[in-house]
Amino acid sequence: MIEVKNVTKKYGKVVAVEDISFSINDGEIIGLLGPNGAGKSTTMNILTGYIEQTSGEVTIEGYNTLKKPKKAKRQIGYMPEGVPLYTDLTVKEFVTYMAELKHVDRKTRKDKVQKVIEQTGLKEVENKLTRNLSRGYKQRVSMAGALVGEPKILILDEPTVGLDPKQITEIRNLIKELGKTHTIILSSHILSEVSQICNKVIIINKGKIVAIDTPENLENRVNKNNCLYVTVEDTENRIANIKDKIKEIKNIDLVQENEDGTKQYLIEADKNVDLRKKVFSEFAKENITIFEMKKADTTLEDAFMKLIEGGNK
Amino acid sequence: MWAIVKKEFKSYFLSPVGYVFIGLFLVMFSIFFYTDVFYYQSTNFEYIFYSGATILTFITPILTMRTLAEERKSGTEQLLLTSPISITKIVLGKFISATLIVVITELCTFMYFGILSFFGEPHLTTALVTLLGFLLLAMSYISFGLLASSITENQIVAGVITIGFFILTWFLPNFSNIFTDFSLINLFTKFPSGQIDIADTVTFVTFTIMCILLTIIVMQRRKSVR
Repeated sequence: MIEVKNVTKKYGKVVAVEDISFSINDGEIIGLLGPNGAGKSTTMNILTGYIEQTSGEVTIEGYNTLKKPKKAKRQIGYMPEGVPLYTDLTVKEFVTYMAELKHVDRKTRKDKVQKVIEQTGLKEVENKLTRNLSRGYKQRVSMAGALVGEPKILILDEPTVGLDPKQITEIRNLIKELGKTHTIILSSHILSEVSQICNKVIIINKGKIVAIDTPENLENRVNKNNCLYVTVEDTENRIANIKDKIKEIKNIDLVQENEDGTKQYLIEADKNVDLRKKVFSEFAKENITIFEMKKADTTLEDAFMKLIEGGNK
Repeated sequence: MWAIVKKEFKSYFLSPVGYVFIGLFLVMFSIFFYTDVFYYQSTNFEYIFYSGATILTFITPILTMRTLAEERKSGTEQLLLTSPISITKIVLGKFISATLIVVITELCTFMYFGILSFFGEPHLTTALVTLLGFLLLAMSYISFGLLASSITENQIVAGVITIGFFILTWFLPNFSNIFTDFSLINLFTKFPSGQIDIADTVTFVTFTIMCILLTIIVMQRRKSVR
């Protein structure tokens, strides 16, 4: 359980994070979203105890991060942005060092290091220097460093940045797997990733929280009106007549003109109306040939953009 | 804390730093040994340490300049500061590991004592007092080097600050007698004659503690302004 109460972080007169409050329950996978400079990393750094807040209170599993920093830090495994590693150590040495820093008992240390190395798929490179590893493996080593010591909470700052698609899928699967036994907070720029992995999203903009909800609820919150994308061949430009024929249509916007002479339109209608049948028949009557028709779904990206734009206005 | 001591000590020998420091010191020490013994016909082990102190003044930054600056620059500082280890233990761990390198260097110099024992009768107690004084001087230097390394993320800048400060304190007494006690290298001068001067010892120890405390404060303070 993580509780953040009225936390503010100021750098001189610049406010990085302002009066943010949220709580995270055990077993949740939380995505921290926001544009660059929104305060995501500052929030993560405060949670991990790397920096201190100017005011407010953070408790990790009941331990206040300022009053009981050691106990609070023991609950957390942190994977920093940019994957900093000791390049003169091998994978095994690095994970062992992390275990030592986290006071893992000497008797069980070796076994726990091995367990984490196997869990993160590092067995085949355990004796290689971390400087000689690919970016994907480095990310795994950093993850192993965070995992060792059996922390209840994992904080992952941009865990998939700089990886190729295969590595991204592997890391995502690993995070999903870890999510079964850990509380996870991750920040990411890839919104599809967050909607796939996380069961709750915190959107931060300009140091303030603009939304905390499940990805589905956020998408519904900014649900577009009933929209259809249609690609048509309409040489006589008769689509202008359609609005009069189908009363439910509120708006028709040209999205793009294609090279083959077809045009893509966005047709907006009232909610709870399925336009597709009417569009199909009326377009045929007007001699407009439909090449493609699809419903426009709202994505987390739409929700994110709308919430961020709302905050910027 | 011992995890840090162990890792840092190992790092000195995984990189050329440890070898360069010990090697450079012993090569230069050997040259002074040669001139003292063969040119001045002296079998005084401890007098070579006057030159040893000069060498130390210039090579201590090799040991200290990267300790904290490099952690900050590479971002590994985040791993340390988010672990359940206190800043005090981090600083002390790094201080102890650097001091251990000096201890090894001192042990290596003991072979010269052996050589002199073969040809003459060097005084063991005086030699041990000299080594104690040299260690105290090295600890003061290392603690200041750590402080310099904590205030910048550029290890070259840290090295320049360290050498600059040592040279400044070395030459300050030339300008006024008031500064005599501020010169760390001057505080060492009584040890090779076999005297353990309480005032000098206390100054060395106090200076070391002060620099370590300042390093801890600098790192602690950065947590709130970082």
